[in-house]
Amino acid sequence: MASFARPSLLRQTLATTRSPILRQNVGVSQAVAFHASARKQILPPLPQTLNGTMNEPVPVPKPHPSEGSYHWTFERAVCVGLIPLSIAPFAAGSLNPVMDAVLCSLLVAHSHVGFQAAIIDYFRPQRVPKFHALCVWLLRGFTLTTAVGLYEFETNDVGITEALRRIWNA
Amino acid sequence: MASLRTTSRLFAASRPLFRPATFARSYATVEAGSTDAANAGPEAKLKTFKVYRWNPDTPSEKPTMQSYQLDLNKTGPMMLDALIRIKNEQDPTLTFRRSCREGICGSCAMNIDGVNTLACLCRIPTDTASESRIYPLPHTYVVKDLVPDLTLFYKQYKSIKPYLQRDTPSPDGLENRQSPEDRKKLDGLYECILCACCSTSCPSYWWNSEEYLGPAILLQSYRWLADSRDERTAERKAALDNSMSVYRCHTILNCTRTCPKGLNPGRAIAETKKMLASM
Repeated sequence: MASFARPSLLRQTLATTRSPILRQNVGVSQAVAFHASARKQILPPLPQTLNGTMNEPVPVPKPHPSEGSYHWTFERAVCVGLIPLSIAPFAAGSLNPVMDAVLCSLLVAHSHVGFQAAIIDYFRPQRVPKFHALCVWLLRGFTLTTAVGLYEFETNDVGITEALRRIWNA
Repeated sequence: MASLRTTSRLFAASRPLFRPATFARSYATVEAGSTDAANAGPEAKLKTFKVYRWNPDTPSEKPTMQSYQLDLNKTGPMMLDALIRIKNEQDPTLTFRRSCREGICGSCAMNIDGVNTLACLCRIPTDTASESRIYPLPHTYVVKDLVPDLTLFYKQYKSIKPYLQRDTPSPDGLENRQSPEDRKKLDGLYECILCACCSTSCPSYWWNSEEYLGPAILLQSYRWLADSRDERTAERKAALDNSMSVYRCHTILNCTRTCPKGLNPGRAIAETKKMLASM
């Protein structure tokens, strides 16, 4: 009951206690103060936006296993596979071109997936759409260049395992 | 009912007429010289608390850290006691959420001395030489002082459908029964009070809170995935099977480290990933 009256009373007392500078041109002074501060942040957060009302749930994305569960399983399989593949050539002391090829392709896949995760984490398409696209294409370019380079190194030179062995023993 | 409302409204409208302005309720005031620092005896254990302040009524003023001094001998053991004492005795404009004061409601989640925790479960460090710094939950939109806006957090909680979904009626028509072993799977999950300490400590959630659900919501999601009585497990798994909802978790485990209830959201997310992989 009294709560109807109370807020208006409070507001009156507040209005009287506020300084006259603040009362006039509140919008302008606020904007000036906001923009007066230096922008030193990297990707500062945008003003809060909420889709829908407070009582609606956030939209559930469409299932996309090749970006979700399959992707995760593939990533883990590559990680686990890299452990024996990077130890075996040196432990066994044998040089096998097939093993080298598998190791190289897994390395390329592993680094591609890792950088891809970093791009998705830090440069979101909603926040920086152009830079996101640039990063994605840069990554694809680098991955392709690495793959071609490794192929050349394997076919025309000693190969990655032998090169590492020589550096180690040098 | 309608008549009641009309009369009450009339009464409310006429109330200020009968109440002089001198009796109108106004802000609480603080007597000068009543603070602990002002009348500290030789045995007083004065500790400084620096509290984040920001007032939405003056949005152009930058957030500041305000210092308060309390005598620990007169204060309860917990951070919430200190905050309540500051609000009661020193600065009634200090704003924070609190309700149960025993770590079951999750209202008083805040960042105390660099750790997200519940103020009611966090002891005041007795070392009076160092000050304590109290901030709102990190990377949240602040409503006022120590009050963060958790609307998105609750909207995300709603999106995982946190309730039992069944198509078949229970065998006896009374209860959906569960074996003790199946019930045990929910231990460590059902205790979550949704205080948002873990989600706001997660760097992945800081960067991608719009799409990544965050550890608290994923722990709740796993609570329903692990429930033997729930029959929509496939649907729940499909809702999570995309690049953003779960897989922005990179096992940083800030969530597990910070949880004031001692739960393990990191493990719940790992179990969720395993469930999704075996789809």
